[in-house]
Amino acid sequence: MVGTRVRNNIRALRFDHGEMTQQELADRVGVTRQTIAAIEKQKYSPSLEAAFKIAAVFGEPLDAVFSYEPASR
Amino acid sequence: MNVTFSEKSAWGSLAALALVAYWYFPKAFAVASSGDEPVKLIVISVICIVVLILIEVVYHVVIASTGRSSSDERDALFDLKASRNGGFVLGFGLFSLVGHIILSSIPEGMSQPGALSIAVWILLTITVSEIAKLGFQIYYYRVGS
Repeated sequence: MVGTRVRNNIRALRFDHGEMTQQELADRVGVTRQTIAAIEKQKYSPSLEAAFKIAAVFGEPLDAVFSYEPASR
Repeated sequence: MNVTFSEKSAWGSLAALALVAYWYFPKAFAVASSGDEPVKLIVISVICIVVLILIEVVYHVVIASTGRSSSDERDALFDLKASRNGGFVLGFGLFSLVGHIILSSIPEGMSQPGALSIAVWILLTITVSEIAKLGFQIYYYRVGS
C-alpha cells in the first residue's frame, strides 16, 4: 500500500465528539465519506484547506489533528 | 459501499472502452489493410462511437440514481494525476508511430503504411492512453496516493 507520511487521529476525535460518523464529518467538511475514510487510513493526504476544515469541526488546532512523520535516513 | 461515484465512473468507462476497442480495432485494421473500403471504416467507427456513448450514458444514469454523485478534491487530484500518466502514454505512442513512419521510409522499396492504417494506429494510441488513464485513476483509488 502506498501510504502518506501525514498521520492523524481523526478516528479518535470522531469518537470523542459523540461518535460522529464519517458521513457527518464529510458533510461538514465538504468532501465525500470515502475521502474521510482514505484520510483516516492514511491512504490520502488532504489539502491544507480540507485539513483546516477538519480541525475546525473538532475545535482543535491543526497540529492536534495532523502530524508529519519525516522520512527516516 | 466504499466506492465513490467517480471511481464507479472510471470502472464503467474502462470496461465500456475496452469492450468497444476489442470489437473495433481488429475490424478497423482489417479494413485499413485492405484499403479498398474506407466508407466501411467510417461506418464501424460511427457504430462504435454511438454504442460507447449509449453504454456510458445508461451506466452513469444508473450509478447516479443509486447513490451520491458528488466529487471532491481527491477525485480531482486522482483525475489530474491519471491524466498526466495517460498523456505520457499518448506521447510515447504517437512518437513511436512517427518514428515507425520515418524509419519505414528510409530503405528503398519498403512498403509505406497507408493513410487509413496511420489513422487507425492514431485511434488505437488515443484509446490505449485513455485506458491507461482510467487504469491509473482506479489504481490511485484502490492503492492510495
